[in-house]
Amino acid sequence: MRSVWRHGDEEENSEEEEMTVKIRFFARFRELLGTDIMTDVVAGTMFTSLITTIAKKNPEGYAAIFDEKDAFHEFVILMKNGKRIDIADAAKTPVADGDEIAVFPPVAGG
Amino acid sequence: MIVIQTDDVDIGALILAAKKHGTGAVVVFDGVVRDDNITEMELEAYEEVATQELDKIAKNATEQFGLLHVDIIHRIGRLVVGENILIIIVAAGHREEAYAGSRFIIEAIKVGVPIWKKELTKDGGRWVLGEHGHGKPKPG
Repeated sequence: MRSVWRHGDEEENSEEEEMTVKIRFFARFRELLGTDIMTDVVAGTMFTSLITTIAKKNPEGYAAIFDEKDAFHEFVILMKNGKRIDIADAAKTPVADGDEIAVFPPVAGG
Repeated sequence: MIVIQTDDVDIGALILAAKKHGTGAVVVFDGVVRDDNITEMELEAYEEVATQELDKIAKNATEQFGLLHVDIIHRIGRLVVGENILIIIVAAGHREEAYAGSRFIIEAIKVGVPIWKKELTKDGGRWVLGEHGHGKPKPG
């Protein structure tokens, strides 16, 4: 799956540098939203806004990840390039070209 | 051997290989698919990250309990009732360290390694709920 997403206010700015990031959902989130989604974004795109846009493609998927106030459910785990991102920091965490973004529910291995 | 794979392993061979010089105890943990009215279990991992986390857990256990050998084999894919899911083999000089190290490893896996289980039933399937404790980012 490949899609292009831009900030609404920046859509007409042809000088914006395009970047590609990979989004990986796991377990129930994967079933609802897919995985290994390659997405083009513009510079300045933040983690939360990117996931919000992707998740809105499936209302059930969105509800699995976000609450009624459009905030991440407290149990959702976020990673950028294999490193944990605190939910409180995600709205101000930019994504960059080549980043791998992962979003998943609580782990249950063993 | 720290690995995530679909294939099963020869536990007997691993026990033999774990008996390094100085070993006085080997503890084997074998987690298996329980018959909870399911047809199969499907396991999924964020493999790159999960393998890194298993490596860290093994290293921490080795340092904390003075272990002489650690194997962790976590299987993914579809497994039937009775099949091995997770094998942990720990060797140490004495039973106290071996038991403690094995327990440390399984509990750390339960809360911190990105692996998920789905129980498949005649009516569909259900994801096994994760344990609490992994909603907070790790320090540093």
